[in-house]
Amino acid sequence: MFAKLKKKIAEEAATATPRPGRLPRSYSKESITSVGADSGDDFASDGSSSRDDLSSQILRRNDQIRKLEARLSDYAEQLRLMQKTKEKLEIALEKHQDSSMRKLQDQNENFQANRAKMAEGMALALEKKDQEWMEKMAALEKEKSSLAARLEQSLSLFQKRDEQDELEGFQMQELAKVKHMLLRKEEQLSQKERELKLRGEELNTARITLTRTQDKLYELGEEHEETRSVNAQLRAHRDKLLSEKEEAERRISDLEAREEELQQLIQQVSEDFQKAQREARSLQKSMESLQSEHDELKLQHEQHKGKAAVTEEERERLLANLQEKVLSLERRLEANLSQDEHLQELLKEKSSLEQRLEEARGELLEERTNHTTAVSSLEAQISRLNTNMSELQTLLRHKDDSSRSYRERTDAQIADLEQRLNDSSERLRSLEAQLEEKKTQREQLQAEWAKERERLQQQVSTQRQRGLEKTAKLEEEMLALQREREAEISSHQDNMRLLEEQKASLLKDRAEMENTVQKLSLELENSKSELNSRQTVSVEIAKALEETRKQREELQQQVNKMSESAHRAEQEVCRLSEQVGVKEAELSSLREELQTALSGLSSLQAECEVLHTEAEEKEAQIELLRQEILTHTQHADTNQSKESDAQGEVESVMAQLQDEEVCVSEQNGSVTAGDVDELQKANKELEQQLSEKNKTIKQLQQRLAELKRTLQKELKLKPDADSESKEKLQEGKPTSEAPVLSAASTPALGSGPGPGLTTHPSQIKVTNSSDLTDTREINFEYLKHVVLKFMSSREAEAYQLIRAVSVLLHFTREEEDMLKQTLEYKMSWFGSKPTPKGIVRPSISGTPSSWM
Amino acid sequence: MGGFFSSLFSGLFGTREMRILILGLDGAGKTTILYRLQVGEVVTTIPTIGFNVETVTYKNLKFQVWDLGGQTSIRPYWRCYYSNTDAVIYVVDSSDRDRMGISKSELVAMLEEEELKKAILVVFANKQDMEQAMTPTEVANSLGLPALKDRKWQIFKTSATKGTGLDEAMEWLVESLKSRQ
Repeated sequence: MFAKLKKKIAEEAATATPRPGRLPRSYSKESITSVGADSGDDFASDGSSSRDDLSSQILRRNDQIRKLEARLSDYAEQLRLMQKTKEKLEIALEKHQDSSMRKLQDQNENFQANRAKMAEGMALALEKKDQEWMEKMAALEKEKSSLAARLEQSLSLFQKRDEQDELEGFQMQELAKVKHMLLRKEEQLSQKERELKLRGEELNTARITLTRTQDKLYELGEEHEETRSVNAQLRAHRDKLLSEKEEAERRISDLEAREEELQQLIQQVSEDFQKAQREARSLQKSMESLQSEHDELKLQHEQHKGKAAVTEEERERLLANLQEKVLSLERRLEANLSQDEHLQELLKEKSSLEQRLEEARGELLEERTNHTTAVSSLEAQISRLNTNMSELQTLLRHKDDSSRSYRERTDAQIADLEQRLNDSSERLRSLEAQLEEKKTQREQLQAEWAKERERLQQQVSTQRQRGLEKTAKLEEEMLALQREREAEISSHQDNMRLLEEQKASLLKDRAEMENTVQKLSLELENSKSELNSRQTVSVEIAKALEETRKQREELQQQVNKMSESAHRAEQEVCRLSEQVGVKEAELSSLREELQTALSGLSSLQAECEVLHTEAEEKEAQIELLRQEILTHTQHADTNQSKESDAQGEVESVMAQLQDEEVCVSEQNGSVTAGDVDELQKANKELEQQLSEKNKTIKQLQQRLAELKRTLQKELKLKPDADSESKEKLQEGKPTSEAPVLSAASTPALGSGPGPGLTTHPSQIKVTNSSDLTDTREINFEYLKHVVLKFMSSREAEAYQLIRAVSVLLHFTREEEDMLKQTLEYKMSWFGSKPTPKGIVRPSISGTPSSWM
Repeated sequence: MGGFFSSLFSGLFGTREMRILILGLDGAGKTTILYRLQVGEVVTTIPTIGFNVETVTYKNLKFQVWDLGGQTSIRPYWRCYYSNTDAVIYVVDSSDRDRMGISKSELVAMLEEEELKKAILVVFANKQDMEQAMTPTEVANSLGLPALKDRKWQIFKTSATKGTGLDEAMEWLVESLKSRQ
């Protein structure tokens, strides 16, 4: 790395050292030619313009003349005076012309003599050098031809190697192309896949919407079911209500039946009551009959009693009769005892009558007892009947009570029942009302339900329709998508087929390529074997080459020396030719100036004469023209004097600076204040040029100093290895500067800023070495920073930094291009690595240019 | 071959980054502006010997912003960075009346470069927070901006430490870069 750098620096130093000698030369040439050209232009333009514009001027002046004619009379007197002066001036002019002509001729002769001498000397030297050079060249060409013959073999080998590299490069490129095509196809495939995915996603979304609608449908169905269940509930409610109604009706019928029963009961009870009344009535009747019987019996009893009392009185009278009879008969019986049988019969008859009385008595008694018994029985019967009556009365009373209570009870019961009936009827009515309400409710509910149902059905139908539409749409989309997909798939398949075809073709190509590669590899092997065989040869050749190289190096050294000497000679020749050219240019310019001046003079004279002959009318004009002529001549004078003065000035400057011979040129006597100003201007220009040159010198010196610093650093690292080169460099510098100095000192005329440049470096070296150290440090720091960034930054940024790095490290254009190419290679994906020039491979085409 | 592919891939992968240079005399506030634009904060800076490069994204446009050191000795190296530049941000210390002439000469020298013929110029009259700061019109006149021809330019008064004026300037720059494309 450093060795290369060093080499580079050494090369640059070698190439740079002659530069300061050459550069200012070119500048000086330019400056001189430009100065000369400027002056010539000025002059020419003045002359030509005066002549070209003459017609216009005349026209203008005619106008002026008209104005001036008024003043002509005044001028006439002046004219006479002026004519006198003009004559004087003409004489002076002629004299001056003669003197100038003489001077010019002298100068010309001198110059030509000098030139001839120098040309002769130069021609001789050149011939000598040419001869030497031709000899050297012949020898070199011979060697070169021998070397070329030897190198041809190796060249063919290298060519083969190059061809192989090229083939490899082509193969790489082809592979890269194939890769790229594959990548593109893969990208297309991935795009298509992405599209497919997108379609799939759309399908999925469509499916999702479908499922959503289905869910909605389900929800609606659920709602439907809910409403249905609500309906069922309502129906059940209705049924319940109906059953309740039925129950109520049943209960009503029960109650009615009960009412009927109760009515029947009431009827029965009334019937019973009637019966009982009837019974009571019958009982009353029986009681009445019994009372009547009782009364009858009482009457019978009284009758019986009366009868019994009558019978008893009768009996008692019969007894009293019978007792009298008995007493009668007893008396008789006392009176009549024979009556004893008759008294016995009468006593028998009295006992029979007493027996009959006793029997009547008994009978009476019996009757009596019978009667009492009958009475008692009757009485018992009456009592019995009375008890019976009382019983019946109590019973009746009871019956009455019971009937009353019963009636009350029945009344209460009836009232109760009536109330209950009323209640039940009211309840019934309320129930009926409820029922009606329920019915109305039910109807309402049914109506609502129906409405809802209809609505829901409508909704369901609409949603179903929508769903169907959506599904239809989705199906259509799906179909379309499937179609697209199929189309895409087919296209993909086509693409794939195409790709496969391409791939097959590519594979074929590749196979072909491989075949060719194999062939090439076979060739390569062959060539390798050849190479091996030739390598042995080439080794020998290389040995020979090395020998030749050594020889060549020697020769090169010789050549270098020769070339240096040739260079110097050439430089000398150049300088001389330049000088000659400059001088010739000067001469030609002077001649031209002279000729122009002469022609101008002659024309002016002719004009003068013409104008003279044109008489006094245009004397004023003539006067003006004369004045012009005068100015022209003055110009010519000033130009001439300026030329000589400038030369003198330059020479004096040179003389002041170099302390060399002072060539004092003849100063023209007519140096005026304007000339001095012009000289000062020229001086200023020269000073400006000098300052510019100084700037360039400073820059060059900075570069030199940097190079020196790097060199010194390198030397510090490796003082032994590079001591020779340093010495060489140190030697080389004075040798390279010396001819410049000598060359700069020799030309006495021309090249103003040249010597100024060459003399300055020594002064600047002394003054600037202390000032520039800190700026250099900053520069070095800058370099460090930039290189660091260059190495660490991305390639895109590094690419921008190439310029900066190459400016800072003073890379050549090729090195910069090489750096750019390598970075481009790094940044790009494909392409072959660029072959760096002059570093890696020693190619044949590069070497001759280095020493030719 | 490589160039063909690189052009192909650059066509495939979007537009390139806009390249912007921040130039100006030393101590004008270039580095502060760069980091104010990138991270939006005021960072403490030291004199830049070399350069700073950062990628700044503004309104979907990517800028590769190069802040080049403005010291006298390294100013000549500015020209190494001119190629492929889309815009130049020229930062001027508005309070530094003495060196306005130097700033002008550097600006003029820069604008004469062939590589910067198509670059847009944005001048930041920086350090407006200072009391003795010149107004943007004063700065523009002292830099000779009104005399510029064939150049799209604009001046903005900014203060990198306060962060004022930078957004407007970047807005203008983005718009003019977009319109130029």
